[in-house]
Order: sequence, then C-alpha cells, then structure tokens
Amino acid sequence: MANAREILNRMHSVQDTRKITNAMYLIASTKLKKSRKLLEETEPYFYTLQSLIQRILRHMPDVEHFYFDTRKEVPADKRSRGLIVITGDKGLAGAYNHNVLKIAHQWMESGQNNHLYVVGELGRQYFASRHIPVEEQFHYTVQNPTMHRARLISSSVLEDYEEKRLDEVWILYTQMVNSMKMEAQLMQLLPLKREDFSKITVPAGAYQEDIRMVPSPAEVMNHVVPNYVTGFIFGALVESFCSEQNARMMAMQSASDNASALLNDLSVEYNRVRQAAITQEITEVVGGARAQRKKGKG
Amino acid sequence: MSTFWLKIVASDHVFFNGSCEALVVPAHDGEVGILPHREAMILAIQEGELRFRTPESNGQWQKAVVGLGIVQVANNRVTVVVDTAERPEDIDEVRARQALERAQEQMRQKQSLREFKMSQASMVRAIARLKGKRESEYKNI
Repeated sequence: MANAREILNRMHSVQDTRKITNAMYLIASTKLKKSRKLLEETEPYFYTLQSLIQRILRHMPDVEHFYFDTRKEVPADKRSRGLIVITGDKGLAGAYNHNVLKIAHQWMESGQNNHLYVVGELGRQYFASRHIPVEEQFHYTVQNPTMHRARLISSSVLEDYEEKRLDEVWILYTQMVNSMKMEAQLMQLLPLKREDFSKITVPAGAYQEDIRMVPSPAEVMNHVVPNYVTGFIFGALVESFCSEQNARMMAMQSASDNASALLNDLSVEYNRVRQAAITQEITEVVGGARAQRKKGKG
Repeated sequence: MSTFWLKIVASDHVFFNGSCEALVVPAHDGEVGILPHREAMILAIQEGELRFRTPESNGQWQKAVVGLGIVQVANNRVTVVVDTAERPEDIDEVRARQALERAQEQMRQKQSLREFKMSQASMVRAIARLKGKRESEYKNI
C-alpha cells in the first residue's frame, strides 16, 4: 500500500487536472451557446438550399452542363479528387477529430490522385506529420465561421474544378444530429449527381410538373451551382463548429466527472492508510511502554 | 387582392416569412416581378435591391438589399434563398464604403484570375449595399 504522502500528492495532481478540465468545460459551454445560436440561424438556409437544389435536379431537363459532367473520359486511375476536410483547431474534444480523420483516411484509400483542402489547425498538423501533401494552405481557423471564409474556400475549389485540376469535389464535415449526437458526413459536392433522384419512379401518365428556368436552365445552373457550393460550405463550417464545441463540452464534462470519482476513491484510500499508520503508531507506543514497565519491575 | 406565401431565407437568418401581394427581384438580366399564381419557375438572382408588398403595409413597398441567390416559385409559394439580406436602414454605410475602397484597391493590383473574381464580387456587393442605402435615404428627405 502506498504511503499517505504519495496518495496526497496524487490527489493534488488530480485536483489540478480537474480544475483545468472544468475550466475548459465552462469555456466550451459558453462557446457552444454562441455556436448554437449561429447554427439555429443558419439551419433554415442550409436545409432550404439543399431541398431547392434537389428539386432543381429532379426537374432539370436533360441538358449537358458543365457541373453535371462526370468526365467519364478520364480513367479511374487518373481521376483527381479533392476533399475539403473540416477538423477542429484543438484536440481534447473526444472522438470529434478522430472520426473525421478516420473517414478522410478511408476516402484517400479509395482513390489515387487525392487533393486535400484542410480547414482547421489540428487536421493540418495531422496530415503534415504523416507527410501527406495538403493542396492549399487554408490558414483559416474554424472558429467564427463566416460567409467570407466560405466564399474563399469555394472559389478556390471551383477554380480547380473548372480548370480540370479536379474531377470530383467532396466535403467532409460533422453534423449535429441532436445535442447528444454528432455524425461525420462525407458528401460529394461536384459534379452534381442526377442519379440520386431517379430512384423516385414516376407512375406512367402522371402529370410531371414542368418548371421554367429563367432565362435558360444552363444559365440558371451557372449561377446557382457556385452559390450552392458556397452555401453548403458555409453550412458545413457552422455545423462542424457547433459539433466541435459540443464534443469538447461533453468530453470535458466526463473528464471532470472521472476526476471526481478518482478523488473519491483516493480520499477513501488515504483515510484508510492514515488510520493504519495511526493504529500502528499507537501499537508501537503501547508496546514500548509495556516493555519499559516490565524492565522496571524486573 | 390575392396573395402568395413568401419566404426569404438569408444565410444568417430568416429575413421574411409571410403572405405577400407582389415581389420584385433583381435577376441577371433586369428586374423580375412576381405576382400571385405565377407559373412554377426557378430564377437566379444577383446582388441588388429586392422589394415586396404585404397586405398589411397598405401599398408600401418593403425593401431589402440582397446578395446572390435563388428564387423558386411553386404552388403559389415563393422561396428566396440568398447569402445575405439586409434592410436598407440596417446597412452600415461607412463599412460598405470601406469595403468598396478596399475592393477597388485590390482590383488595381496584379492578381490571379481567382483573386480578381473575388474582389470583383466584393465590389459588386459593396456597390449594391451602398446603392440600396442611399436610395432609401433620398426617399426620406
């Protein structure tokens, strides 16, 4: 059994760690409040935009368009694919970053010419330490997502796509399903897939709603798609930011709880050790006194 | 007068959600007016001034300065999804002018095509905001 002083030292260090995790918990929870508000304000936009695009794709007449071009002429081993990875700036957020990076790895194994666009300090350092080249240095933090950031990211990705340096554009972000659950999501942004919606079979003879696109479908797509990409990136940034704060808050809360439980165990053990030491001391004193008395009589 | 349901969603808030008598949006080739029971269509809009009239406003037009976006008309419902939407009185003129000057300065420098497009877009945004702001001020005088 460890002696009392050792246990006391251990208790102090656990207490200090708990102070840190508790402070981080408080910081994360105030940040979460801010990011929740942002998410609440952005969600209508994010979801309306997605449903709008799906509707457009459903009703899109069969026209050739740049953003639909799957570039079948490019063979599978020559296809260059880009991935926008959104990680956090800091660790200590539970499985948040690991989930994202794990999916990023799986994605990278499924193709050869991969280009990574990394947002967030932690992801950047992770790929740098593994000598995985990162396409463009997005020296942006993921704190405070703004439309301006989203425009910068989408313009560089769209430029690469338009100049055929990229054949596919994917995005990896973390979605807040509810306040307890976050899910890493992998999505293909470009080229837009029409197959996704052809699953819905239209009964023969049913009136197919015709939507007019002004001035022409191609022209509408020219304007709508870059806008959609920017909006999607912005929404993904906000979702990820909120998820990160939530993950950190939960991780820090459970760390603080664990520290409290550990302190509880340690204090029980400390008391026991202290009690044992006192008992032993008394036994020694009594034993010594008795020996002295015997000596005196004899 | 008959109305239609109008929803204007900006990236940071829902700007308007209610019934509306008439709507005018800035499309790429000029303004487009939308009245109730218009046929289904999808329209791309650009930076500029959007205005709409609600039954409660007694013929007064409400104005908004909007960014790039999409308008969808379907079943007498109009959904406008834009990256920004502001009321003219909420626009900070000093900030808009600073943004314009910054964009003009950047345009003068040698830039890549992408940077050029970015500063061009921010210049268009700044001009649209300034224009919306000034027009609403002249009306008040």
